[in-house]
Amino acid sequence: MITVENLTKKFGNITAIENISFDINESEIFGFLGPNGAGKTTTIRILSTLISPTSGKITIDDRDNRTSGEYIRSITGLLTESPGMYEKISAYDNLEYYSSFYNISDTTRKNNIEKYLKMFDLWDRKDDPAGTYSKGMKQKLALSRALIHEPKILLLDEPTAGLDPESAHMVRIFIESLKKEKTTVFLCTHNLEEASNLSDRVCIIKKKIIRIATLSELQNDDKNKRAEIIFTGDADRYVKLLEGTTGIKTVHTEKNRAMVMIEKPEISNPLIIKKLIDSGAGILYFNEVKATLEEIYLDLIKDEKTK
Amino acid sequence: MKKAGIIFKKEIKEVIRNKNIWLPILIVTAIFSIVVPLLFILGSGSVLGDEETMNFINKIFGQVDDPMKVLIGFILKQLLIFLLVLPAMVPSLIAPSSIIMEKENNTLEPLLATPLKTSELLLGKSLTAWVPAFIISTINFILLTIVVDVATLIKLGYAPLPNAEWVIVAFLLSPILSFILTMASIIVSSRSTDIRSAQGIGSVIIFPIYLIIGLQLAGFFLLNITYLLIGCLVLLAICPLVLKLAVKIFDRENILTRWKMKS
Repeated sequence: MITVENLTKKFGNITAIENISFDINESEIFGFLGPNGAGKTTTIRILSTLISPTSGKITIDDRDNRTSGEYIRSITGLLTESPGMYEKISAYDNLEYYSSFYNISDTTRKNNIEKYLKMFDLWDRKDDPAGTYSKGMKQKLALSRALIHEPKILLLDEPTAGLDPESAHMVRIFIESLKKEKTTVFLCTHNLEEASNLSDRVCIIKKKIIRIATLSELQNDDKNKRAEIIFTGDADRYVKLLEGTTGIKTVHTEKNRAMVMIEKPEISNPLIIKKLIDSGAGILYFNEVKATLEEIYLDLIKDEKTK
Repeated sequence: MKKAGIIFKKEIKEVIRNKNIWLPILIVTAIFSIVVPLLFILGSGSVLGDEETMNFINKIFGQVDDPMKVLIGFILKQLLIFLLVLPAMVPSLIAPSSIIMEKENNTLEPLLATPLKTSELLLGKSLTAWVPAFIISTINFILLTIVVDVATLIKLGYAPLPNAEWVIVAFLLSPILSFILTMASIIVSSRSTDIRSAQGIGSVIIFPIYLIIGLQLAGFFLLNITYLLIGCLVLLAICPLVLKLAVKIFDRENILTRWKMKS
């Protein structure tokens, strides 16, 4: 659905993104992660044809991004990082106004406005000026605006920012449900748990692409394998023993808990258990754990910094 | 065109609701369409008793049979130029904030993300300034004509308006001028980074009109049909240039990336 080849964007002397390439399949949720200033918003703006690339090629729904801006904008919905609304007019009128620029029938427009306002619990206040809405309500209204023409591609920049936990949960369930509608979702977020739960694949970027993979691929990377050991006593007593075991990279302890990063669990885990038992350690629990996306992300960003 | 109409329809409602736009327009309309012509015409009799005024009329027009008629004609030339004030003023009140307000409220990016063309957006925005300017200047023309005709009818027994010069100014020169100033204001709005600077520069855009008023009042020239038609032709030639410039300057990327979004 989206193909990005060697995309570079420069603003004067500043390079916002450098030579990035990725493909996004139809109905895929593609998490786009990176620190502030990594180029996420720039990428989303290029994909939505708001700004043009310095170099590289982008194809969306088999159309060239440079020459088919109007078409691409008609099949994409954009939720911007700081979505604004016309504060003096009602939520309903806001949606009606924006939706009138898309080629949809009046009946579809009215039905969709009602559908999304009801879905996001805004229907009862549809006639209130958008300026009277809370930040979370405005965010839901902005999300409704991005969806109002039922786009094939949804570009979301921090969709749950400012939402209360219940609303954020509702939005996540909704994003997940878009897969069934065959909607392709490009999801920029700082919320790594959200990205982890929703994304089919994640792309970690810091001007350049650091990694594109599924969560399980990332978790199966040798560097991301780890074991959690809970001792009956203080874990610090076993740090030296653990560090001296073949295949163990690092050991972090906290009270009676040790988190051990292992290169090859199938070799190291039996060795660790044997050594600990031989030394008389009381083990309450031993488990091979999967690294969270947050842990993987932080490691990758840290590695990138040290390069 | 339909999409430009959608923008116009929404924006014009906001203009109508905005007292900050209407109040100065009402005040200026009342001053230039009612107060000033009444003072000029009703006070013209006392002016003619003044020797210096008679010398001034003789100097400009030579020996005349009916100084009062000549004086009224002269006053009408001065009032004619006031017909240009509102068509110039209205766009400068509405248009400078048109793009900048969208930027300030973070509504521009979602708007630009729709399949709207730049030309449609600019046309919608400019109609929002141009249509009220045209309506107000037409009302101004009608009011001024009625006030002048009633006053001269009472005082002199004849109604001099409307005449060809006034019709040219009201229905040819004013709309063209409004269009140019609207586009100029939109250019300013597109390039500005905050609303105050846009309005500040916008208020300077109408300076040439004040200059023309001042020069005529100072006796440098008197507008006549020839001057007016030449003026119309020159301004008409400028129209496509400012339109092209506005479309060129309205660069989506520049506008979005130069402007720091409110968080």
